[in-house]
Amino acid sequence: MNLGSMARAVATFAILVILHYTLRPLLGWRAPMDFLVLALLLGSIRVRPAIGALFGLALGIVSDSLTPDALGAGAVAMTVVGYLASWLKAVFFADNLALNAFFFFLGKWVFDVIFFIVEQRLGGIELVQQLLLWSPLSAAATALAGILLLFIMKPLLEPARV
Amino acid sequence: MARAIRSTNSRVDLIVLAAAAMLALVARGLPPNLRDPVASSMRRTFLAPLVMLQERAEASRRSLLLDNERTAIRDSVSLRAMTVGALESENDRLRQLIGLGARLRWGFIPAEAIHGRGVRDVTTMTLTAGSNAGVRRLSPVISPEGVVGVVTNVDPTMSEAMIWTHPDFRVSAMSADGSAFGIMQAHAPSATTGYLMELRGIPFRSTLKPGTLIVSSGLGGVWARGIPIGTVLSEISTAEGWARTYLLKPVVSPADVGAVMILRNDRVTKGFENVWTSVAAADAAAQRIVVAGDSAARSAALAEAAARRAALDTTRRDSTAGGQIPGGLPPELMPDTLMRPPGAARTLDSAAAAARQEAARRAAARRDSARRDSAAADSIVPRSPTRGI
Repeated sequence: MNLGSMARAVATFAILVILHYTLRPLLGWRAPMDFLVLALLLGSIRVRPAIGALFGLALGIVSDSLTPDALGAGAVAMTVVGYLASWLKAVFFADNLALNAFFFFLGKWVFDVIFFIVEQRLGGIELVQQLLLWSPLSAAATALAGILLLFIMKPLLEPARV
Repeated sequence: MARAIRSTNSRVDLIVLAAAAMLALVARGLPPNLRDPVASSMRRTFLAPLVMLQERAEASRRSLLLDNERTAIRDSVSLRAMTVGALESENDRLRQLIGLGARLRWGFIPAEAIHGRGVRDVTTMTLTAGSNAGVRRLSPVISPEGVVGVVTNVDPTMSEAMIWTHPDFRVSAMSADGSAFGIMQAHAPSATTGYLMELRGIPFRSTLKPGTLIVSSGLGGVWARGIPIGTVLSEISTAEGWARTYLLKPVVSPADVGAVMILRNDRVTKGFENVWTSVAAADAAAQRIVVAGDSAARSAALAEAAARRAALDTTRRDSTAGGQIPGGLPPELMPDTLMRPPGAARTLDSAAAAARQEAARRAAARRDSARRDSAAADSIVPRSPTRGI
């Protein structure tokens, strides 16, 4: 990854983080889009799986600090998602928006599954409802947002050829 | 070779993944007393800008959601604010009416005036009191300002009154000082002047200055003497060559009449001396009360200061006589037990106490006299405009 590519990745990451803390609370949806997961996915595909895992750990700890009761749950989920995203980078490179949307969806849903299981706040029917209804909806919203961002920020999101 | 490198890399990746996941699980397993400080320190330092962004975004969302509600509240407040002026004026009017009732004390029937919207209703109005309440035909209708009209028809529960704007309405009137007598009637209204009155039949030898108060003269038996009618605006020329005619500004505007009082006949025959006191007299009385209170308070403060000075002078004299060392502490800073013997202290205390008592007595006497003055001012019956006629 050269310097220009690094700068573009950092700019994309910053934009997504800002969107996560501004647009998401402004919309206030019951099934919100997750820009941090998008940032993790788009960042992890540019690095090795180990780095992706560490990136996920750091991002998870940071996001969990705003919800201290869930501290660690997001970190576990993002660590796994970061590792998997980096491992599946070949798929992400496909220049197919539908495929990318599917992987955004999958990444967010996997994140939610791990997060809610590790958090242990929900149980029983509530957990099932969350994982089978709200999480897919949120993953769909995230995938749509991701596709939109891919379309808008295409120059910034050109992955480095390894 | 390449496969071996790839295998080694995969193993490293897995080890890092396991270590990262383990760290995350350790963070998850932290007890709250360790977890909260870590999260709090992150929120206060490098996450502070993000926290601020999130707070502002949530505040914006709340603001957006509450916008409709706020608009509704603002509209209702504006609507209520529009009625405040009318309520205040109605309140003032009712207060005036209550004041008039207190001055009349007896012999009146309170009623509400119902204005119609027809052409004829400019000169008549319906009152919400009838014969059941004691209203009789030709009973005078008054307001706190003065003459309103006279009852023409009486039903058991309602009655109809002719307002002074009616062409047939007449009142025997006079100037407040009793120098001129005449008959009041409505002046033909015009678009520019509105409703005005005419005072007709004033002898040529009598001239009235603009602003002169015109009251009812009591002649004729319907109206008692001293009820305000209007004030002189100017003299107008008429075809009658034997008397003067003056244009009057009425004290009662027909449109503003709301709550009124219908006078009973026995009250009319009793007279209305001193009922309509002028606002100026009331203001002057209030100012006299305030000035008297201020001067009494000032006198009390001066007396108290004089008493303190006297007590301090006595203290200084006593301490000097008792052998105060020159250059030592001033007498007022010396402890009493060091400054003088117990007997002297008692003398000093008793002198100061006597001075204070005297000052307090004087102040109380002044306050009492001030109260008496103010009470007298309240109870003083202002000179009636019709007295001495």
